[in-house]
Amino acid sequence: MIEKTRKEELKTGSLGEGRISNLTFINIVMIGVLVALFIVASLIVPNFFNINTVSNLIAQQAEIIIIGIGIAYLLISGYFDMSVGGIIAMAAVLCAYFSQENRGIEGLSSGLGMSYGVAAALTVLICSIIGLINAFLVVKMNIASVIATLATMALARGVALIVARGAQRNAGLPPEFKQIGQHTFFATINVAVLIMVILVIVALIIERKTVFGRRIFLIGANSEAARLSGIKVSREVSLLYIASSILAAITGIIMASKFNAGNAAFGTGYEFDALVVTVLGGTSIFGGFGSVTCVVVGAFILGILKTSVNMLGFQPDLQLVVSGVVIIIAILAQRYAINRRSG
Amino acid sequence: MGRIIGRFSMKTTIKNVYVFSVLILIFVIFTSMSTKFIGAPNIVNILRQSVPLFLIGGAVTLVMISGHIDLSVGGILGLCSVVYSLAVKSGMSYFAAALLTVLLGTLVGFINGYLVMKLNIVPLIATLATMTLSIGVGKLLTPRGVGLIKQLPRGMEGFMRTSVLFGLPLAFYIAVIVVAVLVIIQKKTVLGKYAAAIGGNRTAAELSGINVIKNVWLMYVIVGFCSALAGIARTSYLHLGDPGTGQGMEMDAMIVVVLGGTHFFGGEGSVWRTMIGVLVLMSLTAGMQVAGVPPYWQYSIRGAVLIFALLVDIAVKERIVD
Repeated sequence: MIEKTRKEELKTGSLGEGRISNLTFINIVMIGVLVALFIVASLIVPNFFNINTVSNLIAQQAEIIIIGIGIAYLLISGYFDMSVGGIIAMAAVLCAYFSQENRGIEGLSSGLGMSYGVAAALTVLICSIIGLINAFLVVKMNIASVIATLATMALARGVALIVARGAQRNAGLPPEFKQIGQHTFFATINVAVLIMVILVIVALIIERKTVFGRRIFLIGANSEAARLSGIKVSREVSLLYIASSILAAITGIIMASKFNAGNAAFGTGYEFDALVVTVLGGTSIFGGFGSVTCVVVGAFILGILKTSVNMLGFQPDLQLVVSGVVIIIAILAQRYAINRRSG
Repeated sequence: MGRIIGRFSMKTTIKNVYVFSVLILIFVIFTSMSTKFIGAPNIVNILRQSVPLFLIGGAVTLVMISGHIDLSVGGILGLCSVVYSLAVKSGMSYFAAALLTVLLGTLVGFINGYLVMKLNIVPLIATLATMTLSIGVGKLLTPRGVGLIKQLPRGMEGFMRTSVLFGLPLAFYIAVIVVAVLVIIQKKTVLGKYAAAIGGNRTAAELSGINVIKNVWLMYVIVGFCSALAGIARTSYLHLGDPGTGQGMEMDAMIVVVLGGTHFFGGEGSVWRTMIGVLVLMSLTAGMQVAGVPPYWQYSIRGAVLIFALLVDIAVKERIVD
């Protein structure tokens, strides 16, 4: 029962006149944590506070933030998307395959020889089919979203493995293939970061200023009430699944460009990482509460922690332990903070 | 309850017939490709390689009947693989090493239960965190840069490779005993009844006096215990301690549980049908090798099998009214 009232409070958001909403509150707290963490890391980690480390930190978060946008929207509306990691691999491999030089032979070194723009557009289009399948299974067939999207994750990664024959495609790629990931404006700030920034801004505008965006919160808070008030819940959620798969496809194209290869192992575990940063930033796993800013803040908090672990000379494997512990602490601390606030 | 055939309901009968038909179909198809498929060596191999999934699938069925999810099975398997290898390498007897490993796995299961039931963290996130933690700790325990525990003592693989009876190793018979206990728990004990009640309607179960927290917690502990046993079996088979060997196990467990007709929102299911699900998945995997399908096809076939199983589950659920 207590659990239920807490959820209701989470969902209603604002608590009365003159007080900021719970969402704004959590956002401010988490930004505070991020700033504090940054200052601490700058003080105790040697060489942390310099332009290379910081720009690396930003560039490394581009992929996770882009898929995080889709994950966050779905989470707010009360659904999960575990297929993104598989879609990343599928997009990377397909994009490489489409734009590889056509040598007229069977094998990994010969592709379809399309121009890069066409290849990328076609990749996004094909990957959105996975989003369509997700929507069909979850919305039409009412299958639990975690399990349904785990299945399509396997399907998508399976396509990547088949097209890349269990390995990777990296021969005969056109020179523009690596531009997105490797062309830098300033330090390590590359085209991918620019794409990330644009997508985050667009997502924030959709979330805060459009009817579509506000409906997402209503669906997550109470899907039945949303349906009764005339919102086409199934259409809305389907669109979110397709959007999520498109964002994952863009991430896959970026990763392929960064490594100048289409590898079927790309994006392994990214669905989990994206979920972790989204929840870490303050999005509720119960739906109806959250924001794209949560993704950005969460990604940078985890990024700073992981970079610090690395730069302090610990084993890289410690990163896994850190992210496992941090996520549990974050959930408990945020719940405690909101409960205290609500009295 | 509607139509009842003998002791079984219509729905149960259909599910029983369906899982068995799929298994028989797979055997018919692959035997027609190569008669070696039905030969004793291949059957023994399938049964032997199924041991970890028998154990984990059986335990996960209970958790899924209660409407919960456990993604940490692969992580626990990996961690236990490393710990068992280290213990044996340090000169402990097999039995003592196994005991230590099983205790550790049970502890991780206990932590899962604590996070999910006491701290009320959503199972998906809680078990995801323990999965990451287990793999991380497992990796930290391996030598830096190697990531594996190698040069294990000879004879260690006997647990999974030396024939005890009918060409099958000791691990297989232990798994059979554990699974038999799980079947009894699910069918004959209150824990099994409670699992279905909790999965069917948690609030109703609470109101009718079932201690939901304690019972589901216990199920998570059972999953930890079984995952540890699976880790010992896998380590013996590979003759190698590998923290990443459980990767994808959570997915396989889910596939076999859903194939076995356990409803993915909980409330109904059966441990022994999950075992048929394990045989379907493992003989499909083995059959693909016989048919000469490249190994990189496996992944997409797993996805397709899971989608197929989910759609069948929905069809049975919606069309057949008990």
